[in-house]
Amino acid sequence: MSNKVKIFTNGLYKENAIFYQLLGMCPTLAVTTSAINGLGMGLATTAVLVLSNVVISLLRNFIPNKIRIPSFIVVIATFVTIIGMVMEGFLPVLYANLGIFIPLIVVNCLILGRAESFAYGNGVFESLLDGLGMGFGFAIALTILGSVREILGAGSIFGVSLFSANFQPVLMMILPPGAFLALGILMAINNKYKSSRV
Amino acid sequence: MKEIMNLGFKLLLISLIAALSLGYVNGITADKIAEQRALANERARKAVSPEADSFNEIDVSELNQDLVVEGFEAISDDLVSGYVFKTIPKGYGGALEVIVGIDNDGTISGVRIGSHTETPGLGAKATDESFYSQYKSMSANQEIAVSKTEKSDTEIQAISGATITSVAVTKGVNSAIKAFEAYVQ
Repeated sequence: MSNKVKIFTNGLYKENAIFYQLLGMCPTLAVTTSAINGLGMGLATTAVLVLSNVVISLLRNFIPNKIRIPSFIVVIATFVTIIGMVMEGFLPVLYANLGIFIPLIVVNCLILGRAESFAYGNGVFESLLDGLGMGFGFAIALTILGSVREILGAGSIFGVSLFSANFQPVLMMILPPGAFLALGILMAINNKYKSSRV
Repeated sequence: MKEIMNLGFKLLLISLIAALSLGYVNGITADKIAEQRALANERARKAVSPEADSFNEIDVSELNQDLVVEGFEAISDDLVSGYVFKTIPKGYGGALEVIVGIDNDGTISGVRIGSHTETPGLGAKATDESFYSQYKSMSANQEIAVSKTEKSDTEIQAISGATITSVAVTKGVNSAIKAFEAYVQ
């Protein structure tokens, strides 16, 4: 039991996709211009990650080693496209908010990475837990990154203004260089915290 | 040889299942998606021409406005009460959609920004009400200009730090005005 809990919590903090594994940097840097964008991208990725982990774990004895990467990509791309179509057709409000992130998920190497390093070699339930843990860890990290950039760069959080109208936001923080700066500083703080605990 | 056949067959099988399921989902959702897109367009037209009950598409190819891609007559109580034009000027980050409503008497009844790729925090502020509401009730008798300092009857105030976007939106509105004049004459 404790082993299963560990699989779940692993992705949340200890092996966090962003701060520890540095996976999925492309969507991370591109969409975290605000807290809500980070959260939306994180949750959409979690949904795809859980589904692809489960299916790849189910197929792990069928897929030969030599063609595993193309097989993974076909599975992931299929799920992303299906989720995109179903969302646009039946959940238009959600699609209006998350729609732009859906195609970006295909190129998220976190999903391919978990398929390769976990789901291909573990059982279905473990893969489900791994997908949930990694996905939520990714979503939390993106939300933190988005919040930091939104507070500094636009003076608001989740769209709510924090300061008086006189506040001059550091616009650079919501432009691409701000993504690198915020990520680097957050990782430095995290590493400092980690090393002080050892 | 045997191994290659085996690998090829398995990959074919996976791709086949993927293609079949995609085709199946597409069959279910295609109509729904088209319906949702039509609804979203309808809502955008309604937002810039609030009094209209329905819209009639008109041919914009003869109006000689390259930026204008779609045009509609706004119908209210069976009479044409105004026009809605969709224009696609080039912004800072690429094409951006500007939807413009103009009343019969030549006042702008509303402007909205559709899909765009402007810089978040700068040009993307064009989608804020504080920016696009500036065009509302302006006269379509003359071209609208962009001012960096303050708004007047014929000028809108640019978003600070995003002059290119502000000029692009204004360009879209101006070509809608020209299309309006050309169509009414």
